[in-house]
Amino acid sequence: MKKWLVAFLVVSLMASILAGCSQPAPAATEAPEESETGEKVYRVAYIARAQADSFAAWLANAVKEEAAKYDNIKLDVFDGQANDDTENGLIENAITNKYDCIMIQPNNGEAQRPYAEKAVAAGIVTITTNARISGIEGASSVDADPYAQAAVNAVLALEQVPKDAKVVVLNGPPGNFHADARRESWQKEFFDKRPDVTIVGEEIANWNKDEAMNYMETWVQANDRIDAIISMNDNMAAGALEVIKDNPKFKDILSYGVDGTAEACLLIESGAMTATSLQSAYDLATKLLDTANKLLTGVEKQIDTDIDCPLITKDNVQQYIEMHKRAGAIK
Amino acid sequence: MSTDNKSKLWSDIRSKYSIYFVLTALFIISWMANENFVSAENLKNISAQISVGTILAFGQTVLIISGMLDLSSGSVLALAGVLSISSYKMTGSLLIAFIVAIVVGVVCNILNGIMITKFKTPPFIATLAMMTMARGAALMYTNGQNIYQIGNYIIFGQGRIMGIPAPAIFMIIVLLITWYILRNTVFGRSIYAIGGNEEAANASGINVERIKMKAFVYNGILVGIAGVLFMSRVNGGMPNGAQGYEFKALTAAVIGGTSFTGGIGTAGGTLAGAFIVGFLDNIMVLAGVNSYLQQIVRGAIIALAVIYDIQAKTVRTKRKHGFAEVKQSNIEKSI
Repeated sequence: MKKWLVAFLVVSLMASILAGCSQPAPAATEAPEESETGEKVYRVAYIARAQADSFAAWLANAVKEEAAKYDNIKLDVFDGQANDDTENGLIENAITNKYDCIMIQPNNGEAQRPYAEKAVAAGIVTITTNARISGIEGASSVDADPYAQAAVNAVLALEQVPKDAKVVVLNGPPGNFHADARRESWQKEFFDKRPDVTIVGEEIANWNKDEAMNYMETWVQANDRIDAIISMNDNMAAGALEVIKDNPKFKDILSYGVDGTAEACLLIESGAMTATSLQSAYDLATKLLDTANKLLTGVEKQIDTDIDCPLITKDNVQQYIEMHKRAGAIK
Repeated sequence: MSTDNKSKLWSDIRSKYSIYFVLTALFIISWMANENFVSAENLKNISAQISVGTILAFGQTVLIISGMLDLSSGSVLALAGVLSISSYKMTGSLLIAFIVAIVVGVVCNILNGIMITKFKTPPFIATLAMMTMARGAALMYTNGQNIYQIGNYIIFGQGRIMGIPAPAIFMIIVLLITWYILRNTVFGRSIYAIGGNEEAANASGINVERIKMKAFVYNGILVGIAGVLFMSRVNGGMPNGAQGYEFKALTAAVIGGTSFTGGIGTAGGTLAGAFIVGFLDNIMVLAGVNSYLQQIVRGAIIALAVIYDIQAKTVRTKRKHGFAEVKQSNIEKSI
């Protein structure tokens, strides 16, 4: 009896697979959808790096909100799960399913490059973002410049960090385009110009708050004086500040981050954090959808554009807190 | 005492307490390498830093001794933590928030237990599935965004009682409870029996499924507590937090002498394993060792510690067998 049951299940499974394979992909044969105004509706695939990454999730949500404003765009969001293989597979699937536009937020630009090139070769509008994959002929891009994001902080730090200061540095994952470019920017725009400054601790905290906390707890034990925390993102800066928030010895410490997260804005407002630069997911999303619309409707053939990275300090933090309140990140 | 007896006694001590020798040696080396290492504040920091991973490791120890493991603990921790913070923000009650975390941990682990005991799914696969589901649920609930402004919730992870960090106190309490359960209760003895030989345990009247389910419930309680401590320590609800903590916990348990073949392991050994990793991480940062080199050194020292521990245990086993053989030949002679 069991054997017959197993045989029946196997045959049923095979039949369903074969039936599925014999049918053409729905998207390939369907007539193009039309919006209420009779306009063609374009199918857009947004392939996120990893929705477990809080900035990537913020960006994916912002892209969804922005896409809802366009009657002629139907958006599907996919999660690359911080895995090159998964993300490459999703790009291939989007090509096979004949999306009109594929937006790629790479996990690792060079790993996704050949797949982005395949999308371009298939005649699909291809846009890379956060970070752009540069040099692909026919592809467009929308990004924020990680070098500039760190540089606006570094220029401020040149004035603020005292002479012969001791600083600690928190880095993102090695090999990550934004992590490496931000660190390079700090080197050229700050450390090379301030040879009097000593780095008393530098570690890779992988963008994580808890890892940054652990490192800062140890640095505080080894150093009586730390004048500044230089962090490649806000999350790690917030972790380091968590350790010393009640320690009077470090009450005047300076701290710099990147991203302009809701938490960093609140820390700047309270005076705990010095500055950050905004990498606005809303600005990226607005430009992404505008770029997609222009390319899909034939207004332009190729667009490469960057969003601004304004510096956030105590002087202007209120406007960014309002921005986060509108988005529901601060209640 | 004869030389043979002295040698046997030393060998027994060495094999039983080898992991504590490794820990002591590492402590002394670290002390010599950097004077800040032994400052009271640094040692308190290390205790607080390892507490979340160690509490998870006690749960893993109980499961591994009974022949199972839990790959979902980091993800369930995140789910329990964000739901706990969310309930705190809704109700303002720390007690409700704490209970919510424990309930979430227990429910997820009961599901693990059902998959393993009722549907005979291998623990590796069942808890791998739960790892994915729990992380997905945490991300879905928060829409991938962190929860900020958690108010008094931070007292669990950042509070101090008589100068000792609250997470370290939680860790000590969990250590004592786990030690007591494993050593002095029927449940504890049943866990060792199941891990040593499941069929024999079953034949001797132990309700294997019930004990395994209880082991998961205990693990769930610990994961819930760890969730509260983690989120409180980082001052926010982080749905993507504690990634890889299941491996931190497994590492501490295995370094501490818990055997993947089941039936062997102690709560004290797991604590020693966690401190070995904590001391290593701390001293390398204090000494300013290059980040990449740290990973190599950490891996190598973990391997050496485990090799030393296994070698010491092998010597004891050989001695026992040797002693048994001599005894057997004497009996045969007398016959």
